[in-house]
Amino acid sequence: MTATEQVQATVMPGGPTHKRAKRPAVGPAVYIVKKLLALALTLFVASLAVFFSRFLVPGDPARFLLRGRSPKPEALEEITRQFGLDKPAWEQYLNWLGGILHGDWGRSLTYRQDVSDVLLGRLPTTLQLVALAAVFITILGLFAGIVASLNKGFGDRFILITLTAAGAVPPFVAAIALVALFSVGLGWFPSFGSGDGGLDRIWHLTLPALALGITYIAMVARVTRSSMNEQLLREHVEVATSRGLTRGSVVARHVLRNALGPILTVSGVLVAGLLVSSAIIERTFGLSGIGQLLVQSIDRLDFAVVQAIVMVVVAAFVVVNTVVDLVQPLIDPRIAAGTESR
Amino acid sequence: MSQLLQIENFTLGFPGRPPLLDSVSLQVDDGEAVALVGESGSGKSLTTRAALGLFPGGSEFSGTVSVQGLDTLTAGKQRLMELRRGHASMIFQDPRAGINPVRTVGDFLTETLVRFDGLTRSEATERAVKQLEQVGLRRAKELMDQHPHQLSGGMLQRVMIAAALLNSPDLLLCDEPTTALDVTTQAGIVRLLREEQQSRGMGMLFITHDLNLAASLCERVYVLRRGEVVEHGPTRTVFLTPQQDYTRQLVEATPVIEVGGLGAPVAAGSPLLQVSGLTKTYQLPRGDVITALDDAGFSLPEGGSLGVVGESGSGKSTLARLVVALETATSGELTLRGVPRPHRPLRASERKVLAKEVQIVFQDPYLSLDPRIPVGNAVADVFRLHQKQGRKEAKDSARDLLARVGIGPERFDARPRALSGGQRQRVALAKALAARPRLLVLDEATSALDVSVQAQVLDLVEELRDQFGLTILFVTHDLAVVSRICSELIVMHQGRIVEQGPTARILEDPGDDYTRNLIASRPRPLWDAEPVTA
Repeated sequence: MTATEQVQATVMPGGPTHKRAKRPAVGPAVYIVKKLLALALTLFVASLAVFFSRFLVPGDPARFLLRGRSPKPEALEEITRQFGLDKPAWEQYLNWLGGILHGDWGRSLTYRQDVSDVLLGRLPTTLQLVALAAVFITILGLFAGIVASLNKGFGDRFILITLTAAGAVPPFVAAIALVALFSVGLGWFPSFGSGDGGLDRIWHLTLPALALGITYIAMVARVTRSSMNEQLLREHVEVATSRGLTRGSVVARHVLRNALGPILTVSGVLVAGLLVSSAIIERTFGLSGIGQLLVQSIDRLDFAVVQAIVMVVVAAFVVVNTVVDLVQPLIDPRIAAGTESR
Repeated sequence: MSQLLQIENFTLGFPGRPPLLDSVSLQVDDGEAVALVGESGSGKSLTTRAALGLFPGGSEFSGTVSVQGLDTLTAGKQRLMELRRGHASMIFQDPRAGINPVRTVGDFLTETLVRFDGLTRSEATERAVKQLEQVGLRRAKELMDQHPHQLSGGMLQRVMIAAALLNSPDLLLCDEPTTALDVTTQAGIVRLLREEQQSRGMGMLFITHDLNLAASLCERVYVLRRGEVVEHGPTRTVFLTPQQDYTRQLVEATPVIEVGGLGAPVAAGSPLLQVSGLTKTYQLPRGDVITALDDAGFSLPEGGSLGVVGESGSGKSTLARLVVALETATSGELTLRGVPRPHRPLRASERKVLAKEVQIVFQDPYLSLDPRIPVGNAVADVFRLHQKQGRKEAKDSARDLLARVGIGPERFDARPRALSGGQRQRVALAKALAARPRLLVLDEATSALDVSVQAQVLDLVEELRDQFGLTILFVTHDLAVVSRICSELIVMHQGRIVEQGPTARILEDPGDDYTRNLIASRPRPLWDAEPVTA
């Protein structure tokens, strides 16, 4: 047997060992379409849950609107009809869903405005707050994780203890501590309000974003650390080192790059918590975002607003995680088209 | 000839523990192929890695390890990196673990060229493609864009070799580069390494635990034991007239195909196991159908011994798992002592009855024993379950049986992690025998063990076979092992039985091309008639 024959025998990947009924591989398009269909289905189911959960809450919204005054039955009936509360539940749902698809989220009972207007006025603040927190989480979390993983011994232990402490601090405590230190003590940052656009906005949002992100910084750092530690033991890292790559290249190209998958997955799941925790932070720092609006609206049984906000949060969560799923195959090609195990 | 790699009095260890390497001295000259053989834990890998300045974290070392005059123990980072990039390369054991799975083959090959040698991406790609073609890979351009999981193990090892050769190193370090590969693939890789080493005039240090392999590649050999060089010299001298006891044991333990020693096949008594038309297919989630075992048929008489040989993926393990009912056949008949096997997963009660007839010993004793259960209890539990013995009686039986497989009573309460690989496999054997089976299935039961341990376990199996009158089904990839134990042989390839009959007949006069290929793929010493570079 000559050398070339030898090679031919080994050329077919996974080949001669099994007979396979040939079938075209599942393309990336199918993968994306599947993920998007799952996204749509999740949002639909979520909308059902969000809408009908309102019927589980005691209290008649129309009555609440009149704030304890005893109304004439006609007036009550008028309001009920005006907000469509007299129709059967499924019809209300269909109207609501149809409205959403047209960009109409219904009318707020308390503000007597379109929900979309109420929401649009406050959404930017929350989004900016969350975005800035995400930036802090990414930079500080990754940095702390990488440093901890590469400095075994004292550095690792110090960062680990700090992270455990930071992870245990509730956002409102962190908020108070940060305000006491940086605005009252040092006077570097304002303690209240969201400022005017641009840099002023970022300046105002720095402390809230840090307070919001501190728990998540700890989580991301821990995941980064353990995921990198796992990769550092892999043989391909030793191979890379043995080929004369610098420490930096090895870490960036072969350790961190391979560790990204788990980090991204965890980050996607954290988004939901971030949006929910923002309610507390907005209240502490007097920001008018949707978190604070949500708390108020639940107090006032303003269901249209509550439903809209919950839908926005759910949608944000599902969309972010779908994006994470879609990005995963780019990070690890073995995931694409389910070839990972075979 | 100048000295390429010179290691002198190299000692390495962790503080407070006995040294892992003790005054190791060895040299490799320009253009010379040198083997470093030893069993697992002997320090072969540590020695080789030291030549690239790779030391385990927290270790202490002394002596000299110099490559072309550069002492890697004292050299600065920059000099070490230059050495690794330009002068010395290493090929690792498992290419699937050694090449980053999330990057393309092309990226793996070109990363040092682009980053440190100042080549443009296209120049680097061109050079890498040429190198891939030189190591015998076709469609090299397409390979550059593929990911490691799309390539077979043999192809990946060629990629690894190409990467090591890219910068025309003067010294090539090979750390068991064929251990993770099939026999026939191994033959191709060994031939390639020999060709490259000869034509480039490289120095090569080849680590292996396989003496035959060392003999087929290298002119000189160092034998390493527990961190010490016990013997060195020309390969032929060391292997044919070993001076040290340890080397002699190692040479004797190395399995060779021996046809003479086998008794005649057992006269056809009543068949214990009868198989006909046995087929197993797997349906993959994406609709592919894999035929792992295709229309297998044979019969194994009571007291007989049957070897099943084939490469990975040949269906031999599937066959073993079907016999012990870990899998259910898709079609075909399997009859054990006249009882046909139903075509459905067995019920717990049926499984218990079957377990008294058939027992299996798996490949890796590190995985097949429960790490929390003391080995004595593990064996006693089998006696209690299958022989209905009381607690105390079972312990006594377990002690007796363990003593018979060479595990003394002082180890009765030891947990598996306190035992060596060979001891664990003895415990696994004892566990299987405690059920007093008629048929013992050994699924690569000696493949994970060192040669000397493998020899002991094989001796034990032979002894037990005679003592207990066992019938044996031995599944392995190693023809030499089968030639020792089994009087009948089945050769499998791609899920099919390509040849079956008496072992001696098949080994002397193979009827199938694949069998011939398998026999020819076994490494041959350089001094043997047939040169390796055919």
